[in-house]
Amino acid sequence: MAVKPPVELPVRWALSVRPDGAGKLAFAGELDAESTPVAWRILESELARIKVATFEVDVRQLVCDSAGLALLYYLSVGRMTPGASVSLTGLSPELQHLLRSFSTEDFQALQEHEPTCSPFVEDVGAATRSWLCDLRQQVEFIGEVTLGVLRSAFRPRRMRWKEVLRVFEVAGVNALPVVSLLTFLVGMVIAFESAQPLAQLGAQVFVANLLGLVMSRELGPVMAAIMLAGRSGSAFAAELGTMKVNEELNALQTMGLSPVQFLVVQRVVAGILLTPVLTIFAMYAGLLGGIPVLLGLGFPLRMVLHQVQSGLHFGDLAEGISKSIVFGAIVASVSCLRGLQTGEGPRAVGESTTRSVVTSILLIILADAIIASVTYTLRK
Amino acid sequence: MNGASHNLVEVRDLTVGYGERRVLEGINFEVRRGEVFAILGVSGSGKSTLLKHLIGLYQPMHGDVLISGASIVRAEGDERLRILRKFGVLYQGGALFGSLTTVENVRLPLDEFTDLSEVAKDLIALSKLRLVGLESAATKLPADLSGGMQKRAGIARAIVMDPCILFLDEPSAGLDPITSAALDALIRELARGLGITFVMVTHELASIYSVADRVVVLDPRTRGIAAEGAPSWLRENASQPWVRQFLKREAA
Repeated sequence: MAVKPPVELPVRWALSVRPDGAGKLAFAGELDAESTPVAWRILESELARIKVATFEVDVRQLVCDSAGLALLYYLSVGRMTPGASVSLTGLSPELQHLLRSFSTEDFQALQEHEPTCSPFVEDVGAATRSWLCDLRQQVEFIGEVTLGVLRSAFRPRRMRWKEVLRVFEVAGVNALPVVSLLTFLVGMVIAFESAQPLAQLGAQVFVANLLGLVMSRELGPVMAAIMLAGRSGSAFAAELGTMKVNEELNALQTMGLSPVQFLVVQRVVAGILLTPVLTIFAMYAGLLGGIPVLLGLGFPLRMVLHQVQSGLHFGDLAEGISKSIVFGAIVASVSCLRGLQTGEGPRAVGESTTRSVVTSILLIILADAIIASVTYTLRK
Repeated sequence: MNGASHNLVEVRDLTVGYGERRVLEGINFEVRRGEVFAILGVSGSGKSTLLKHLIGLYQPMHGDVLISGASIVRAEGDERLRILRKFGVLYQGGALFGSLTTVENVRLPLDEFTDLSEVAKDLIALSKLRLVGLESAATKLPADLSGGMQKRAGIARAIVMDPCILFLDEPSAGLDPITSAALDALIRELARGLGITFVMVTHELASIYSVADRVVVLDPRTRGIAAEGAPSWLRENASQPWVRQFLKREAA
């Protein structure tokens, strides 16, 4: 019984079985990474059809690389001819040496090692535990940062003001154009969208009041804080995360310097100082965005300004600014915390950056909701 | 055997640099089939830059690099891929993918470039790991391996497609002398057993004498090659005194 493999293969073989159950397979040609997969499949189906007691594989006229060797090894351990005793003949000493690097035990160990799925309860427990640990770290961190900021407030000379200034510039001044553009457009959209329903009530002129209130109380601080989280908070987390990966944080600790005091406090102070500035810009840009719409609706500029002035009180501005201070502290400290929590490995920095943005925005909205409901109750 | 197939790597009049700054100028040398070739030099002499040009990561300012007769500088598309398949590279830190286990790292080229069955790919990857003595660490993540083990796993990944050349960037950097010596032994064994040609960049003189057949010493002042030859011969006979000194100082 002789089987011919497809002609285009660089390897040929002749398979023969004698009546006494002695099989012989003679290879000729080349078994490389391209021909081996095809040869492997064909041989597997051919050998499944025959039954042999002894099996001789003749490789005298065969050239092969690692892929070919894998096939020879697979044949030689009898995986394709169960129950038969297999012998390889004509293997060169170099290939013999290489063939010895193949091992069934290694293969079995790998198969048995397939990652096991942990049970559901265990997963829930681990998640809860890590969540509680994170909460504990956050509380500790808040305490440490507060202490650090207070210490710096009492001893301002110890503070690295240069670093504060740098962060203020990078995260604050450089963010002005994008924050202004964003709130300008948001202001415009709000004016557009509110003009129609208010027109039905004949109250279109109150678009100006609405815009003033919404920008100073809500959108100004929130938009500024969200931009800060996306633009600078992520940078804080990546910066500190990279320092952690590069063991710079360990270096600080062994020098007796606290990373929080040395790196975080400056960023938090800068964050607290710069967010109100960004917020004021955001408020004005939002109002400016609404003005062209109102002018387009036929209201004179003087009237619009008068409406804004009469609708806005100092309390509204104060609420917006104080919110922004809280947001600035949240974004800066949460981002730094995520940076310091960075784990090991190449993905760690990316993960902590993502977590910093997500946690920051979540906490901004949460704090906004709390402050809004408190001030609402107070106003009543 | 003609010249093209005798020299596995040929560097012709190579000038490399960053922007306007030239790091190396007019470099010429050949690496012969089957030898262990080392590029030596003090820190900042452009060793690693040269290596990155040899493996086609950077484009040279001038000149050519031939890998078994084909220019890696000008090759594109499939031709470039064919040249890339002829060699493997071990990067300084091993450059294992941190999210994959050791055996998955080694298997990766097989997964991407061949149609082999899962069993065949596992068998080949495990055999390479056994060749470098890492069979017991197959299912570990790179982060759980020591520095020396990471480099050995890097070698296993580099040889899984049976390349004829292996480029090593500072193989002994960051390793203790014993691990470093074991790595040297592995390089010798692979060079002899698999017939792989090695091109390594190093400043570890201790291992040069036991591993390298031939070296070139880069000269940071002339931005060229100061000396070329067998390391123990150069130690006594290099024409420039500083090369002899350089080779002796750390050999002691």
